Amino acid sequence: MIGRAGVVSAMAGFGFGFGESGSGPAVPCADPHGDPFLRTRFAVPARPATFLRRKRLADHLDQALRTPLTMVNGAAGAGKTLLVADWAEARDRPVAWLTAEAGDPRPGMFWAYLLQALRAAGVPLPVEIGCPADASRVDRTLLTRLATELAARDRPVIVVLDEYDRVSAPEIAEQLEFLLHHAAGGMRLILVTRTEPLLPLHRHRAAGDMTEIRNAELAFTPGEAAVLLGLHGLRVPAPAAEALVARTRGWAAGLRLCALAARESPDPETYLKRFEAERTAVADFLLAEVLKRQTPETQDLLLRVSVLERFCPDLANVLTERADAEGILTGLHRENAFVEDLGHAWYRLHPLFGEILRAHLRVRSPGLEPVLHRRAAQWLRRSGTLAEALGHGAAAGDWEFTAGALVDDLAIGQLFTGLRSDDLAELFSRMGPETTTPATDLVRAARALSRCDLDRGLTHLRHAERTLAGEENRAAPDGEADAATEDGPGPAATWLSCALLEALAARLTGSPGRAELAAGAAERLQETVPGHLLAKHPELTALLLAHLGSTRLWAGHFEEARAALCLVADCSGGAATALPREDSLGRLALIDYLNGWLGRAERKAMAALTVAERYGLPQSSGFGIGRLVLAAVAVDRDDLRLAQGHLDAAADARPNMRDPVTEAGRTIATARMLLARGDTRAALEATEPAVAADVASPWAAGHTALVASAAHLAEGRPEAAAELLHTVPGHQAVCAVGEARAQLVAGRPRAALDLLDRLGPESHAGPAVTVRALLVRAEAAAAAGDSVAVRRFVAQALREARRERLRRPFAEAGGWLRPLLDTAPLRGLAAGWLTPGPPPAGLDERPPVVEELSGRERDVLRRLAQLMSTEEIAADLCVSVNTVKTHLKSVFRKLSVNRRNDAVRRARELRLL
Amino acid sequence: MRYEIRVDGQLSEALTSAFPELDHVLMSGHTVLFGHIVDEAHLYGLLARCQSLGLRVLEMRQLPE
Repeated sequence: MIGRAGVVSAMAGFGFGFGESGSGPAVPCADPHGDPFLRTRFAVPARPATFLRRKRLADHLDQALRTPLTMVNGAAGAGKTLLVADWAEARDRPVAWLTAEAGDPRPGMFWAYLLQALRAAGVPLPVEIGCPADASRVDRTLLTRLATELAARDRPVIVVLDEYDRVSAPEIAEQLEFLLHHAAGGMRLILVTRTEPLLPLHRHRAAGDMTEIRNAELAFTPGEAAVLLGLHGLRVPAPAAEALVARTRGWAAGLRLCALAARESPDPETYLKRFEAERTAVADFLLAEVLKRQTPETQDLLLRVSVLERFCPDLANVLTERADAEGILTGLHRENAFVEDLGHAWYRLHPLFGEILRAHLRVRSPGLEPVLHRRAAQWLRRSGTLAEALGHGAAAGDWEFTAGALVDDLAIGQLFTGLRSDDLAELFSRMGPETTTPATDLVRAARALSRCDLDRGLTHLRHAERTLAGEENRAAPDGEADAATEDGPGPAATWLSCALLEALAARLTGSPGRAELAAGAAERLQETVPGHLLAKHPELTALLLAHLGSTRLWAGHFEEARAALCLVADCSGGAATALPREDSLGRLALIDYLNGWLGRAERKAMAALTVAERYGLPQSSGFGIGRLVLAAVAVDRDDLRLAQGHLDAAADARPNMRDPVTEAGRTIATARMLLARGDTRAALEATEPAVAADVASPWAAGHTALVASAAHLAEGRPEAAAELLHTVPGHQAVCAVGEARAQLVAGRPRAALDLLDRLGPESHAGPAVTVRALLVRAEAAAAAGDSVAVRRFVAQALREARRERLRRPFAEAGGWLRPLLDTAPLRGLAAGWLTPGPPPAGLDERPPVVEELSGRERDVLRRLAQLMSTEEIAADLCVSVNTVKTHLKSVFRKLSVNRRNDAVRRARELRLL
Repeated sequence: MRYEIRVDGQLSEALTSAFPELDHVLMSGHTVLFGHIVDEAHLYGLLARCQSLGLRVLEMRQLPE
């Protein structure tokens, strides 16, 4: 077993800070999973020298400053992007620009990029807004926080979403509409798109709060066409310009290509006439015309780079196997032919031409595409953009490379957590069974384990380990087996990935021995892999420690479990580690609950839910134990309605992975609630184990025995109840107290008190245990007729229980207690929380506010205190009723109340008003 | 289901090869792409492909089986 010190040193080396409370980096300049955000996505595209500014369009676009929504909608190559880019550059403040990703981005990814685009444009966004940690979804509260932030701005922020037609998810349209509505004038959204977006445009049109520039307006007039051709050095008479516009329908890309083709021809005017008479598709014809006028080297380069979303000269050289890309690309951009400059020496093909060039590539060089993808993947792997390297590796169908790149980068944890996990799962779902390297086997194992398919996962894992060991034996004579080279970390990264999956498998099967072995191996391997890779992938260490901690918890080693879990809970790392942090906070909450500390358990469970909310973690992605702990805490407070609510929410979550700890937590919460309702039979049935484990867990066994003993007691068999608890392993305080109570009921007060006396202070038991023990002592004293001792014990129990609102033990104690609580001074101690009556002054029984209220939430709260209605508050703050409701919900949650009056009262108690 | 899509202009070999699942016939001033279409998603995908290749769709209709 590795001790705390060992784990600390392992974590400290990888940039895990302590006491940072998981708030993430102050200025996130890299995206949550470690790859640098691609600057080119936020760059306003540069205009070529031949760009023609058309005043009528710029004037129309100026209206975008006055309407919340603007749509520039036109065919590919209609000149939308350059129009908006030119207009945006002329603003007196930075514009947040985001070019949508190819391949239909999903909501989480979309919003992560949009937040980054806002920050790149200098819009100050507090860290509390959070960031999606799951590519497929974004939490509504994140949008609310963003809207609140934007609504508070003096001047609206201008946001341009270019190539919005690539975004087809209806949720994103709905979320943008939500943000637009709730930002209340704090944002001007400009959508540049080929297709009609799914926002409720009719409503915006009817309200007159939308600016619309469509294809017909973007089309060049004959006059404009003549000026454009003039910029290309061609003088055309008016009738020729008119004919050209008729032939191209004023299509910007057509005119541009036409100018390029005509300029190269000996007699431009005759050429234009010939084009008029052509019957081919405009883009197809013109592109072929312009292409065939280029040098063979240029043609070859254009066709080859068409497989890339963006490229720099070096990458283009790799694809052409020549060294002339820089000159060719500069020339093409100067000529405004095909390529656009993205800044920082990166280029892209105009999307329309890229598509057509790719079609030409397939016809001219069938079979070359996969080769180009593979070369691009290898270059991208070296230059450090893993996500793109994986994409091209998969497009080449080279799974040995793709899985190898993932494992060598120590990125295998991204299959479980972080923004990339869904994309990676989708990418590797295309991998067939043919390739069997250790890396492909590990990816298969990870995918199987994340579906909780243990048999398949372990088969692949063992296969990977055997192959790896075989390779090392063969390589051993040279003594190079463990060498990390500059190209990669060598087999150490693969072994470390094995250790992570071993730890996960151990956790899922409840095998503490295997988890310790895996963690020990991981600790040694972490010494041999490059430190920058570990720093780049904090999720690997975080997941490993979360699995280790959870398995230790299952085995009942609470302190060792806490050591590992606290490291994860306190680590920074933003969205990449959000899932293991939420997981670890939930486990720490369970430990506190099992030790009898309800308030602490509740705070940690709430912190886990806050992490899940801030990062929009889907309920199905983790193990989700936080709600179960809250349910169990609510049972001990005798709030069965709340407990049922938490249990229902936990049942709805349907996590993909089930581990014995979570299932035991579910069992405890459910059975204790059924016991509190008096349904002993159902409680007994609920304790049937749901997940098999290799090793029995002492606390899980203890709680099962407690439920069974309660059933025996209820049916008048105290002997059997005591016997059952006596055989529970591990001297657990909670079982000893249960046994003492059974002994007392069986008429053996001496034996009961002996059991309690043996409980030392070293048991670290909290009020949920000590209060029950005091009540057993009180009952024993009552049986002995010592009324002074009875009062002393009950008074002490009340004092200890009051802070935690621990009501259940008093309900369990039996009828002898009730009359006592009606006598002074016990009446005063019980009033207001256990029995009706005014609460004693100065007693703050609720947990402190977990999260600070935002400025806007205080505004709403202050008006609430003035007895204003929701509508009045909305009018007063110039926001919508829905926004006020959203703020109210969040205020209620933060203050742990359900009603307006309670919120005001609670806020006064906490001096927030 | 079978569909035909009529686009403006005569397509080159390179462009018709971008629709490997469809047959085509060149007419005067336009091209007709036709063939079996798997489902609606496929149909919308074809329209998007036309758009991204700069083709103008003149007509689209379902053919009798």
